Amino acid sequence: MEQTTVQGQSNLVREVLEKGICVRCGACVGICPYFQYHDGKVVVSDWCQASTWRCVQVCPRLPYDRASLYDYFYHVNDCTDAIGPHRQVVAARSGDKLVRSAAQYGGVVTALVIFAMEEGLVNSAVLTDRGGDLAPKGVLCSDREAVLGCAGSRYSASAALSELNLAIQAGNDRLAFIGLPCQMEALGRLSLSEPDGQERAGHVELKIGLFCTWALDYRALRSYLKTKGIVEIPKKYDIPPPPSEVFIVETNNGRMEFPLSEVREIVQPGCSLCEDMTAEFADISVGTLEGDKQWNTVIVRTDKGMELFEKALRAGVLEQKEIPSSNLEHLKEAASNKRKRALRARGEESNE
Amino acid sequence: MLLQANEAIARGALEAGVIFAAGYPGNPSSEIIETLAKASRDLPIYVEWSVNEKVALEAATGASFAGCRAICSMKQNGVNVVSDFLTNLSLSGTKGGLVLVSCDDPGGISSTNEEDARAFAPLSDIPLLEPSSPQEALDMARWAFDLSETINNIVMIRSVSRLSHSRSDVQVKDLPDFDVQPYFDTKVSFHTFPIVAKHQARHEKLRMAEELFENSPFNFYRGPSRPELLVIGSGCAVDYAIDAIEIMSLWERVGVLKLGTTWPLPRKLLLENLQKSESILFVEDVDPFIETNVKALAAEAARQVGVKTFHGRGSGDFPLCGELGPSHLLEFFGNYFDLDWKDQEFRNKMGSLTKGKIPPREFGFCPGCPHRGSFYAIKTALAWDDRDGFVSGDIGCYTMGIWPTGFNQVKSVHAMGSGSGIACGYGKLEGFGFDQPVITVCGDSTFFHATIPALVNARFNNADILLVVLDNSATAMTGFQPHPGTGKTAMGQPTQPVDIAALCESMGLEVHVGDPYEMKETARRLYDLMQKQGPRVMVLRRKCALVQGREGGFPYDMHVDQSLCVGEECGCGRYCTRIFRCPGLIWDKEKKKAMIDQVICVGCGICAEICPQGAIKKEAKG
Repeated sequence: MEQTTVQGQSNLVREVLEKGICVRCGACVGICPYFQYHDGKVVVSDWCQASTWRCVQVCPRLPYDRASLYDYFYHVNDCTDAIGPHRQVVAARSGDKLVRSAAQYGGVVTALVIFAMEEGLVNSAVLTDRGGDLAPKGVLCSDREAVLGCAGSRYSASAALSELNLAIQAGNDRLAFIGLPCQMEALGRLSLSEPDGQERAGHVELKIGLFCTWALDYRALRSYLKTKGIVEIPKKYDIPPPPSEVFIVETNNGRMEFPLSEVREIVQPGCSLCEDMTAEFADISVGTLEGDKQWNTVIVRTDKGMELFEKALRAGVLEQKEIPSSNLEHLKEAASNKRKRALRARGEESNE
Repeated sequence: MLLQANEAIARGALEAGVIFAAGYPGNPSSEIIETLAKASRDLPIYVEWSVNEKVALEAATGASFAGCRAICSMKQNGVNVVSDFLTNLSLSGTKGGLVLVSCDDPGGISSTNEEDARAFAPLSDIPLLEPSSPQEALDMARWAFDLSETINNIVMIRSVSRLSHSRSDVQVKDLPDFDVQPYFDTKVSFHTFPIVAKHQARHEKLRMAEELFENSPFNFYRGPSRPELLVIGSGCAVDYAIDAIEIMSLWERVGVLKLGTTWPLPRKLLLENLQKSESILFVEDVDPFIETNVKALAAEAARQVGVKTFHGRGSGDFPLCGELGPSHLLEFFGNYFDLDWKDQEFRNKMGSLTKGKIPPREFGFCPGCPHRGSFYAIKTALAWDDRDGFVSGDIGCYTMGIWPTGFNQVKSVHAMGSGSGIACGYGKLEGFGFDQPVITVCGDSTFFHATIPALVNARFNNADILLVVLDNSATAMTGFQPHPGTGKTAMGQPTQPVDIAALCESMGLEVHVGDPYEMKETARRLYDLMQKQGPRVMVLRRKCALVQGREGGFPYDMHVDQSLCVGEECGCGRYCTRIFRCPGLIWDKEKKKAMIDQVICVGCGICAEICPQGAIKKEAKG
């Protein structure tokens, strides 16, 4: 392809793709034909020649004034809480055994999404599928079965925002989006972008964020597993909490452990620039509860999030309990460390 | 009768009683076999499109060894393909008159190269005839079979594009009885041993031909007895020289020795004419073939003919490449005789009238061409793979994959089947750290012509090659001639088609079959195949658009909903007209939106898949 010197796309290519720091959030995919996602990578398929651009405005790996997002969502200038602005932090789990059995831990995400659909709060939801021969990708789900099919944790990115972009363009309204901190930030930037970002973001009724320290490059993961003799598609991955230093892979042939140090080498480089562990710009953020595989940690942030969460509790869709203080401390410490590492990596060390 | 030279050659062969004709399609030669195939409906002759030129000449030789007259025609590249057989055949000799016709393409107007096949005449020690008009083409074709039987060797006739496709009035003679009884005389054998003795004998045959050439009506001199400048030439080039002399009224000053028998050179005739002038101009296409050989002759005979000043391609007066055209001759004579022949006023007027009115046109696939879909899928899959993959290409309409119409995907094109051969090289570089995926493309006709050995090699040496066979059920580029996969012969007889996919499977290759109109699906499958090792084949099957058009057309009416079209803005950036580039899609400059050119669009419907806004709509016809 002949390269153009037009700004916009070429900025993204030069500053993000060519530097290898793309985190495959998918925010730039699905708006136009020039970026595409396939099997774990966002690639340039052709050179764009437009003179205004949506892509550069939403990419979470391009420099941005984070304060404007805090202001837009929370009407504050900044946030010194390591886990971002929130109304409450609790432990919770799904009240439905079927959901819990399909889930990685407490099944809160699956339960909330299904509940939101059944309540009519949302018409459909963009989640991430299980992947297989190919990397996971985003999928638009409209019923319980489809959502259940997405249950469980992925350890690689899926560019699910591309599916959201397509769903918005197709005229879908009242959407839920379930994704990573980088994707929540991208959606935040979308709300503040020209010419029609606010209108597009307005199609998203509910955002559920997932805790994330890093994501693996799926193609590299596949090669890595191949070198370990695993050619069939794993059923489940897991990373137990510290001090455990293993990466667990479950296949039909059994359960294997690999050194986490080896797996860290195939983490997406762009993840080291991300300061957000708990998805600060979601309505509700969900992650593990260290030491208790039956439950999730749930951070409820917005009014909308609170309303849904409380409704779910009343309906018995969710159960909650107090989060042990040591868990909350560890969570804040981990989140704070991620922030520090990122700011250092970006050359923006603060005095906190 | 108005005949083009190719038709005239076919007619000449029939008048000589040829009953066997074989060839492989190749511009500018294809009409010779096509004309004979049509004639076969009414005459007791056999005509075939062979799988490649080598087999074609070999098959024609079978008829010759059985005592029948046979003709084989091809373009210049075909002579390269037959060369191994030809250089042996000219040693063994022939029986029934056998003529090889090479139609060269100076300037490479419709070729991958520009090549002067006359070089094969001295290389194989065979006689060479070059017509300068359709009449001469007919007369030479008719006579060449007599010559061939006189010397018991194959004779070469060489035409060029401009001549092959020019028509003029031609006098024909009656057709013979075609009463032949093929018989192979087992008291005689056709081999090349003892080699040196047969080589010597081959030279003797050439000397016999030379004697006949000295008095041939195909060579003549026109002009004054002592011209200031003597033109020696052949083919179309000498016609242009004569035209220029006429236009500039130079017949008092310039003489023309027009040669029709150009190997072996009729030395006596040449020496006689060389003495007419000190200044010699050679006109021919493409190489200075006559020029170089006559210079050698003149050097040997310098004491007899005197010292000369030579002009021509080899002497710096004309370029050493490209066609020689009328303007070259006008220019040369203008400078040589200091004559002003350019009507600059006329030229300026023409320039101003035409300026800006002739749109730049690039080569492009037809609307509805399945290759557009194939290359779009290949481009997409290679982009997804993101390891700097590329395409190793081959000969056919899909050669245009080197240009924007095929998204600039193809990175090399050479001879028939060479894309796969080259891929066998890339396919063994993995051990050195090479990890760029390579997709090789070939057409269905090319597959049979030359790709099969490369594919066997890939299986044998376990090369990592991914071959995409673009099966459009036609030898399309050259005019839809049938081939082994189409189920019909040159003479219109039904035949058992050779199944490409089955053939590949029988070699133990991994084979898939897909539809190039399903671009996203094909891209997905190609991406998956790219991650694998070893030789793999994907056959993309969809009939050539022009064939589909003849067989009843396409299913859709297309239009662009301009209210959905985003045009130049972010979200599209003129994707359909700028990137996809089907000629059926055009840009409405006033409204700044895309639209369908309803005259050009055929209604294949595949562009509907690529519009990011879903603005291209397809509706089932009727």
